[in-house]
Amino acid sequence: MPDSPLATSICGIELEHPLVNGSGTLDALAAGTLGLAAFVTKTVTLHPREGNPPVRIGETPSGMVNSIGLANPGLDGFCDRHLPRLAELGVPLIVSVGGWSREEYAIAVARIGAHPAVRAIELNVSCPNVETGCISIGTEAAETRALLERCRGETDRPLLTKLSPSVADVAAIATAAAEGGSDGLVLINTVRGMAIDRATLRPLLGGGGGGLSGPAVKPAALHAIFHARAATDLPVIGMGGVSSAQDCIEFAAAGASVVAVGTALFRDPALAARIVADLPAALAGYGVSTLDDVVDRAHRRLPQALLEVDANG
Amino acid sequence: MLPGSRSLEVARVEAVGAYTLLVLRRDGADAGVPGQFFMLQAQPEPADAYLPRALSAAWADEHELAFLLDVRGAGTTALAAAERVSLLGPLGHGFELRDGPAILVGGGIGAAILPWLVRRLPGPVTTLLGFRDQSHAVCAPLIDTDATVVLEPTYVTEPLARLLPAAGSCVYACGPDPMLQAVAALCAEHGTRCQLAMEAAMACGFGACYGCAVRVDGEWKRLCIEGPVLAAERILEPAGA
Repeated sequence: MPDSPLATSICGIELEHPLVNGSGTLDALAAGTLGLAAFVTKTVTLHPREGNPPVRIGETPSGMVNSIGLANPGLDGFCDRHLPRLAELGVPLIVSVGGWSREEYAIAVARIGAHPAVRAIELNVSCPNVETGCISIGTEAAETRALLERCRGETDRPLLTKLSPSVADVAAIATAAAEGGSDGLVLINTVRGMAIDRATLRPLLGGGGGGLSGPAVKPAALHAIFHARAATDLPVIGMGGVSSAQDCIEFAAAGASVVAVGTALFRDPALAARIVADLPAALAGYGVSTLDDVVDRAHRRLPQALLEVDANG
Repeated sequence: MLPGSRSLEVARVEAVGAYTLLVLRRDGADAGVPGQFFMLQAQPEPADAYLPRALSAAWADEHELAFLLDVRGAGTTALAAAERVSLLGPLGHGFELRDGPAILVGGGIGAAILPWLVRRLPGPVTTLLGFRDQSHAVCAPLIDTDATVVLEPTYVTEPLARLLPAAGSCVYACGPDPMLQAVAALCAEHGTRCQLAMEAAMACGFGACYGCAVRVDGEWKRLCIEGPVLAAERILEPAGA
């Protein structure tokens, strides 16, 4: 495996290739790992959550909105029923954790981090489908820093912080995560969005608003990744509308060393395998053989003045 | 674990009153059993319909796999105009085909999945269909030439109530949620076995998106994993709830 030009690693986790899934976009126990190099779980919360009432999804131009609401079996149910089976998947396991207080995150991080099969923990501080809790943590730099500091002492596993693009200054949140002890960044979570039911002119989704994903959010993702990476140097798992090998290369150029697929997987479960098959030729088009060769390309020779203008809109 | 996608050629497309019949050349594709479903997308993928559509087959035979569509939005419009269709499936749990008399109940486009049951069920079949108007009822002979058809404001539960109790029969139903709730309640009242095929918007069809939540066993559960065919008692709220 180390001989493959696509083999890579992030935070010490060896990966067969740079394609993983975004949290909440695959149930590997139901569908398998679909050729992904690692499996990222749906976000686990301290208590079980049924999720939001339907309608939960709606198609939108080049994407979809969702309002799932962190449906999950809770920490006990996850550790007792899911984790033993996820440990048998045969790919590195990254568990996503969410909560409504630092304490809730810390309890989950300590317990999940103690399981030998868990290679890293993602702290979801950016779910758009809950009114309080993780979403409000990830919109404030001080809260983000304090959460990381609280969780850092609970595990020796790498902590990855999942960020939202729907904030005023993603670089400030990324910097706060790094200062608090985050080992890596995952971005972007979905963009806050809404669909209106054509017939009733009411919000389509049961939760009112929701999270927008798919190719429609790709530019927002590239922008957030670029600025988070410029601000911190932390390794990035990049996602947001990724649908092709070319997308992977562009996300890498913005700063992602690992790329995640999500919504595009819904319409094509063979997507990861196809991208992995297409990547060598796509990389060869840039005269390189590994994704690492193009990581941060977009950051080269960009005058500082231009960075500031762009960051300030 | 997951079946692979297939690209199938469209054999023909026919208007059937207000509905549209899409017939694919099966080309050896696994058709599954009645009540299972497929994720269908027109090829090339339409620019204005990002997600595939979850549809159960109207019937399958050796050469064809047919779907009855209610063409309303971009996805179904593209399917009705396509020359090729990508197909993922069969997915989910279909009907258990039981010996003995069967009562089939279809409401609106829910009737689309009944023709295959009429062909496959081993025992005598009684078919009850409800539609909003005559243009939608044009498809009835496609399902069962002997079907009893009612139009709004009459509900299909009226002829069903006259048939029950029907000792030894199994009811197979598909239609809008209020109809399914009424059918489930009637069957529970008369102690008649009943299987329902439910519908929900799905992004993926294989348990990944959690979008197709329906009330099953008193909880929100994924229809693609639990169903789409469910024992009727599973959609009735538990007593005291």
